[in-house]
Amino acid sequence: MNKLEFLTRLRNSLEKGGLPKEDINDALTYYEEVFLDAGFGKEEETAASMGAPEDVAVNILRESGIRADTAPVMPPQDSNAQNFSNNTAAQPAKKTSGGQWALRIVLAVLTFPIWLPILIVICALLFTLIVVVCSLIFAAVITAISLIAGGIAAIFETPSIALMLIGVGLIITGIIMLICKPAFNTFIPACGRAIKRFFNRVAGFFKKGEKENV
Amino acid sequence: MGFSINAGLLDAMVLSIVQNNDTYGYEITQYLRKAVDISESTLYPVLRRLQKNELLETYDKEFMGRNRRYYRITPQGNDSLEEYREEWRSHKKKIDSILLNEGAESNEQT
Repeated sequence: MNKLEFLTRLRNSLEKGGLPKEDINDALTYYEEVFLDAGFGKEEETAASMGAPEDVAVNILRESGIRADTAPVMPPQDSNAQNFSNNTAAQPAKKTSGGQWALRIVLAVLTFPIWLPILIVICALLFTLIVVVCSLIFAAVITAISLIAGGIAAIFETPSIALMLIGVGLIITGIIMLICKPAFNTFIPACGRAIKRFFNRVAGFFKKGEKENV
Repeated sequence: MGFSINAGLLDAMVLSIVQNNDTYGYEITQYLRKAVDISESTLYPVLRRLQKNELLETYDKEFMGRNRRYYRITPQGNDSLEEYREEWRSHKKKIDSILLNEGAESNEQT
């Protein structure tokens, strides 16, 4: 077994045992260091001297208080005891994940004054974008109409200027027609969907939280 | 070796090694191996326990382009080690008195 295999199996066993991530990383750092300090050519030998990663994990779990509902067995060399705690080690994992949920909810409530304003600002920004795009298009439409109308009105007095006005008006109309399609079909709905998704996520979070609490 | 080492004794020995010199996991194991047959994986839970009880603390030091975790004894660790040493002295005396027929001469024997 080489270093990578040992560390991977150790990580898997610790994760299965429900050890907090921080503690898992600490353990892996330690064991990686052991391999590095033992020397490059000695990976197999080092792994062999430490025994099966699964047994190593059981010892770590027991030391981290995951032995809570296991009988307190002292000698770590006792293989029967190890098997025993191996079977029960999987149970507290569910409990901790429930606890983590509760923690997340408490955190969400406590940080309420922070994330609520952020949420409102993001929604307001998206909404502003929609309004800005709409008003730009509206302004362009008005400009085009007045240019063309003005051109038609002045066509007999100053035909040269009138023709220019009508021309510019038609150009703007063309640009509006080009812009409108992507704007109304994709951009504005996208902003709308983003706002909706934000609210759904918040709502979903609280719904899950309630279920978990009951 | 037929004698087993219990957790308390292991804690005390690790504290003593770290008190002499700040050191890292692998070196602690090598030291301990002079006296007892233990592996790196026996040592890790011990270090972790001592750390959680604030008898040891860690810091990272660069070594050949990577970080090595060094252990340092805390004031509580020093106190605890002193207690362990005191306890060991009296324990050793009692054992010796029986095993080596030393010290406390029992009135029965001549």
